[in-house]
Amino acid sequence: MTAAPAVVPLRRDGAAAVAFPSLAWFRHLADVMNANRARQEQLGYVDCVAQFTVTDGGLEGTPFAVQVTFEEFEALDVCVARPADDGRADFTLEGSLATWRAMIESIAAGGGRPDLEQTLNRLSHFGTPMRVVADDPLRRDLFFRYNQSLQEFVNAAATFTTRFGD
Amino acid sequence: MSHPLLTDVSRDPDPLDEGLARYEHAFRTQYRQWSEILQQNAERLRRGQYSLHWLDTDGASFGRRAKPSSRGLTYADVNAVKGYGDVPEVATWRNFTARGSVREPYRDAMPTIDDYTVTDRNELWAENVMSLYEEAKARQWNATRDIPWSELTPLPDDLEKATCQLCTFLTEVEFVAGDFPSKWMYRIPQDFLEVKSFLATQIMDEARHQEVFRKRAIAGGGLLHASPGFEWALKAILEAPSHTMGTFLLNLLGEGLVLSIFRSGEMIAKTHVDKEIFRRCLQDEARHVSYGVMELKWSLDHHPDRARALESMHTFADVGEQVILSAFTEAALVEPVAILLGGGLAKIDQGMEGMTKLWQMFIDEYLQRCERAGFPRRARCTIPLDIPWRVQ
Repeated sequence: MTAAPAVVPLRRDGAAAVAFPSLAWFRHLADVMNANRARQEQLGYVDCVAQFTVTDGGLEGTPFAVQVTFEEFEALDVCVARPADDGRADFTLEGSLATWRAMIESIAAGGGRPDLEQTLNRLSHFGTPMRVVADDPLRRDLFFRYNQSLQEFVNAAATFTTRFGD
Repeated sequence: MSHPLLTDVSRDPDPLDEGLARYEHAFRTQYRQWSEILQQNAERLRRGQYSLHWLDTDGASFGRRAKPSSRGLTYADVNAVKGYGDVPEVATWRNFTARGSVREPYRDAMPTIDDYTVTDRNELWAENVMSLYEEAKARQWNATRDIPWSELTPLPDDLEKATCQLCTFLTEVEFVAGDFPSKWMYRIPQDFLEVKSFLATQIMDEARHQEVFRKRAIAGGGLLHASPGFEWALKAILEAPSHTMGTFLLNLLGEGLVLSIFRSGEMIAKTHVDKEIFRRCLQDEARHVSYGVMELKWSLDHHPDRARALESMHTFADVGEQVILSAFTEAALVEPVAILLGGGLAKIDQGMEGMTKLWQMFIDEYLQRCERAGFPRRARCTIPLDIPWRVQ
């Protein structure tokens, strides 16, 4: 008796590593999620727009942010967040590049299951080193309502190689 | 001299016999309609006649077919069909008749279910209740199968005892969290079927939470201490004077606090088993909190005298917050969480510093949720904004 596998590996076959942070990296996560519909149907609906922000992941240490639109069992859309998109996301999960990197490396090392110290809730619960930001408490609570799905969304990073810019 | 056992039996009538006698009296002499119906049916059948009155669609919405959306056929889809989605402000059908069925011609012959007392929509409706119901069904999980129990490994004694004590507390809490909606669910008539359906999912969720924490404790060491402070807080929830007030106390305040505990539980979990348990549970809990916020909002927004409704809620919250506080200051809760936060009994003081953060976060989130519901509680909150204990 074990938990269902977090993700079904798609490719670790020498395909080119995907840079983090980048739109392509989050699109890879979305592709893996959408290719595993059976698992999503086990976990249940996810209906939210989640913004993932790397606070120093952009040019010259500026923020880099991506918005992922989840609907039903799919990640329908992945786009770079623009200032005009303010208010579109239900909540934002943000952390520094170093924090994201440690989490992604832990997910990869664990084959899709991060170390106890590297889960989304663990990292954000006390507001550091990650934090969940939302204007509306009901919209912030979506981060909790779909927490297992969001965790497995990022756990899909184990299915491809991530390249960091150093 | 008679046999003493026989004498005792004659002195103490069996309550079941008394209940049966009352039931028999009611249905044989007090209620006559059903036997008249039976007589009419028997005569018709004896004559070999069919009625076929039910084929008449006058007064029905028959023929307007509901169309499924991408998720299947939801309550929202069937409520979009004219004749089915009109949720009355006051339910006048205090029986089992389906909203949208042909029922008016039979009104006088219908029984009244005396227990259906929640007839005011403002006492239970929430704008998000149908979507929460769909989400709840879609996100069910199984405490027997979906937790990797075989990976559970023994923790150091202090951490295992702290985990088991936290699970003991949560087992108590989850029990009332199922009993409160159960207590009210059977008082809700058919016209509010959407709320009744959602409450059924909440009852299932809480049964699963009670199950998973009981299993976790017994698989790891065993159940530890019950606490009177827990029990009084849970009694205050169960005996709330109205559904809205109790839902505020359970779903918004109590489950909001338990949501914070679940998130802390996931954060401090020492095994992947515990991580999985708390992550699964916090999802369900956040759904219940969401209903609590929006139910209170609907109730206040639609009350004919909002100022009076607000004052009543404040009066209730003045008491409710304090009684809930009796649970959330109990040593049997605060200390195990502090030990888990700190990483061991020797580090309980560091853990209490973590409890300070947890407390402030919980109060802030509670007050934000009250404001979201249109219940400005910040100025009157009786729970101390800062921790009610001294950090060493």
